[in-house]
Amino acid sequence: MYVCFRTGETRMSWEQFIYFAIVAVLFWAAGAYGAWRNKTNIAYTATILGLLIFFGFIVSMWISLERPPLRTMGETRLWYSFFLPLAGLIVYSRWKYKWILSFSTVLALVFICVNLFKPEIHDKTLMPALQSPWFAPHVIVYMFAYAVLGAAALMALIGLIMKSKLRITNSEFEIIDNLVYVGLAFLTIGMLFGALWAKEAWGHYWSWDPKETWAAITWLAYLVYVHYRQLPRQNERLALWILIGSFVLLQMCWWGINYLPSAQGTSVHTYNMSE
Amino acid sequence: MWNKPWTMKEGFLTGGGLIIAGMALELSAGPVVWEAFAWPVNGIVLAGFLMLIAVMFLLRKKVYAFQFIGTYQAAIPAMVYAVVLTIIMGLTRQEVGGTWLNNMLTFWPFVLIYVYITVILGVITLKRLCVLPYHGHIRNIAFLLNHLGLFLALTTATLGNADMQRVKMICGIGEPEWRALEPDGTVKEMPLAIELKRFIMETYSDGSPKRFASEIQILTKTKKNIETVVDVNKPYEVDGWKIYQYGYDTQMGAQSQISILELVSDPWLPLVYTGIYMMLAGAVCMFVLGRGKRV
Repeated sequence: MYVCFRTGETRMSWEQFIYFAIVAVLFWAAGAYGAWRNKTNIAYTATILGLLIFFGFIVSMWISLERPPLRTMGETRLWYSFFLPLAGLIVYSRWKYKWILSFSTVLALVFICVNLFKPEIHDKTLMPALQSPWFAPHVIVYMFAYAVLGAAALMALIGLIMKSKLRITNSEFEIIDNLVYVGLAFLTIGMLFGALWAKEAWGHYWSWDPKETWAAITWLAYLVYVHYRQLPRQNERLALWILIGSFVLLQMCWWGINYLPSAQGTSVHTYNMSE
Repeated sequence: MWNKPWTMKEGFLTGGGLIIAGMALELSAGPVVWEAFAWPVNGIVLAGFLMLIAVMFLLRKKVYAFQFIGTYQAAIPAMVYAVVLTIIMGLTRQEVGGTWLNNMLTFWPFVLIYVYITVILGVITLKRLCVLPYHGHIRNIAFLLNHLGLFLALTTATLGNADMQRVKMICGIGEPEWRALEPDGTVKEMPLAIELKRFIMETYSDGSPKRFASEIQILTKTKKNIETVVDVNKPYEVDGWKIYQYGYDTQMGAQSQISILELVSDPWLPLVYTGIYMMLAGAVCMFVLGRGKRV
């Protein structure tokens, strides 16, 4: 573990993480509850307090490590857990979706739990190609995009099944559109972070590796949806189908390529395969 | 059909026409030879391309097709074609020297559809730039960051590719090396020499690799004398060359007496990065602004 000692000084370490994490998650949960109950003040105050407490731990780690805590997997997960409620809060402040804070709190909790229960990953094997400050932002941004686009696809599916006779309401479509915009924004950032990282790791920002090819496909598919929705006259069911189709393509990019014959042995993205 | 205003139907027919034209080109002229675009050809092509877009934009009131290019009804079918062709690319094994679907990047229909998308991007960028002085809304700025950024990244990455040099240098301990191997195996003299001081390989307790690095000394023709360490993920840049840790003598492992470095020069990189940073800023705007209210 990263316990740095300077003579006579107490230093922050992972030992103290659990206390900060519990308090922060409790605040985030209170914020999520406030959002469900339409108590916006509670939602904001509690979420911000949780963020401050969590960020306090990150800053203490930073000081104690004498470097930014972005090197190990455990350290990157700290940032995941911090950014998720922050992103949730931004989305909430903009569109007041009741469920977004619960969603971001649960995701943050998952990463906190991994840090708590799998601490051995903190400084254990991370192959050299993955040891990069880009690793965390690239992956977390993509995971957030996948989560938000998953929520949009779910709403589209419900819209298609449940409302087969009725028209889906404008406000429902507005929520779907906003989710797609947020998801697409993160998809774009994840892809471009990946390009910047690839330049540092492999010498080129875009090599049409199977993963990159499918990332481009996914990105383009969501662009089709976003542009189709700008048409003055449109087939709403077709729009929802485009969204579901895009999410299917996203699955291909996420894990489907591991089973794709054309991608076998050619992708440099297969770190978790038996090597 | 072809009655004004044109719809998505005409958009799909235009894209289909490009694919047929691409097939004809593929059959008659063979695949796209990207190597032919090395400087100054790529500079000339880019200038011509920009002029073509400017002319299309200026004549949009006179030529209906040029007006149509700046509409959603043109853009959406173009993107659908790009999705389909890229899916085919993702499902087929891509090979250097492959033909047709096995080498999509040199397949004319694929290239033409992406060029078409780039033309659309150029025209709509100019359209939006014209309204900016009157409606300098954040949404218009976001639109430009996204579309102009993508336009810049696509054009400069594609045209600049022929000027990119990627060579491998096999450095031995105590022997300054100034020759490098091109991808085709030919030897190239470099403007810099690299001497390996020490190859570093660290492993975790389970034997899996933890770190590959090379302590090197670099001497350049510009009289620089640098001692540095090149790690995986931490290349060193000197005189426009990025130096990467690429490989080592796997038989010898940590005792390897050589280190293989990759040297990459990409003079168009700043332009591509400008496009990428614009798109990043555009994506942040997209996140903050969202869909907006329907008008």
